[in-house]
Amino acid sequence: MIDDPSSGDFAADLGLASCSCCGKLSPVDLGDCPRCGKTLHLRKPFSLARTIALLSAAIAFYVPAMTLPVMGVEGVGTASAGGSTGGSTIVGGVITFWKSGSYPVAIIIFTASVLIPILKIIALIWLCLAATGRSRARPHSHAFAYHITELVGRWSMVDVFVVAILVCLVRLGNIMTITPGPAAISFATVVILTMLSAMSFDPRLLWDHHRRSA
Amino acid sequence: MFHHHPGLPWPRRDRNERVACQFCDAVQPAPSLEEGEVAICGHCGETLYQNRPRSLSRCVGFSLAALFFLIIAHSFPFLTMEAAGNRTELGLWEATYALYADHAVLLSALTFFFTIVTPIVMSCGLLYVCAPLMSGKAMPGALIVTRWIQLSEPWSMLEVFLLGFIVSLLKLGHLAEIHFQTGLWALVAVVFCLAAAMAGIDRRELWDRLELALLKP
Repeated sequence: MIDDPSSGDFAADLGLASCSCCGKLSPVDLGDCPRCGKTLHLRKPFSLARTIALLSAAIAFYVPAMTLPVMGVEGVGTASAGGSTGGSTIVGGVITFWKSGSYPVAIIIFTASVLIPILKIIALIWLCLAATGRSRARPHSHAFAYHITELVGRWSMVDVFVVAILVCLVRLGNIMTITPGPAAISFATVVILTMLSAMSFDPRLLWDHHRRSA
Repeated sequence: MFHHHPGLPWPRRDRNERVACQFCDAVQPAPSLEEGEVAICGHCGETLYQNRPRSLSRCVGFSLAALFFLIIAHSFPFLTMEAAGNRTELGLWEATYALYADHAVLLSALTFFFTIVTPIVMSCGLLYVCAPLMSGKAMPGALIVTRWIQLSEPWSMLEVFLLGFIVSLLKLGHLAEIHFQTGLWALVAVVFCLAAAMAGIDRRELWDRLELALLKP
């Protein structure tokens, strides 16, 4: 591994672009990739702007996802207490499970729904800052953060699937029903937006800045 | 001429091909690798590509297995649950339909896409592209199908669904009597087979083979 940032040839300096679809290296002047036909770009177009826009939208959706009920529980217990709908937020659910001693469920839900999205949003903000030269860390740690962000993002969707499965399973006649709450769709939106945001980020920008500053 | 031998590992059109690292953009020669070897960027140390052992046969085998298991997972429920004299079944379609019936149409559509559409696209697509490549041929539309496979890969969330399934069972706890059914084991098998099929062949190798197959008259 050579750490001297100025050594070697770089595709963008030579006017070469590697295809985002098939990975073939071709001159960017060709316009489309000769192998798979996808449009060639030196860097992902408007990478930073798109990443930040999608990320901001994700942060906005994260607020209702955390504060609104993720599912409504209607049952005998709540009905006798006044016939109202008992809704629970994601965090409220985690606390309930922790108190009742179901530690595995509490840990899985907390990790997937609270920890991973927040860490992912922080990591993407950090990467955007690094790409504009506001972080002093080495590019290798940025690359590591990028890998983790890509790998872990989809697992946040687990809470949405839990709602889907519980809604399907818990139709115990007149005893209890579970309905999907407004937080479920907000949360799915957060996961999708952060995934799209990570996809539109171009890790080559990190090295571009590293080379320029060296 | 470029002769294509199915047994030959990773044929190349251009022997002096160069490759740019996806992370640092450094241009370097792309040597042919022995099976099992990995090419690493000389500048930043990220993986450039790897030559998977017996890539095509593994990819075809596992995607065919995934397709069979998908059919089983769609035909049988995952579990049946009995509580208070009522019996409910859970399957991939039931979960999607329950959301739809509760007027959560958008959520239902997302679940449908993530757990039903993308796994089918991936297993059928890989089979459609890779099986003819065994004899050096490419079916019509193979380029587009390969692009679809790559697009749907991050959105295929069956393994996440499986985790959600486990969490739901832990949540329900002793509330009901639960019987696992055939569909569940088939779903576990689908998750492993799809992962093995996707990891079985490097993206570059797939495109190199496709390129050669399309060049043939």
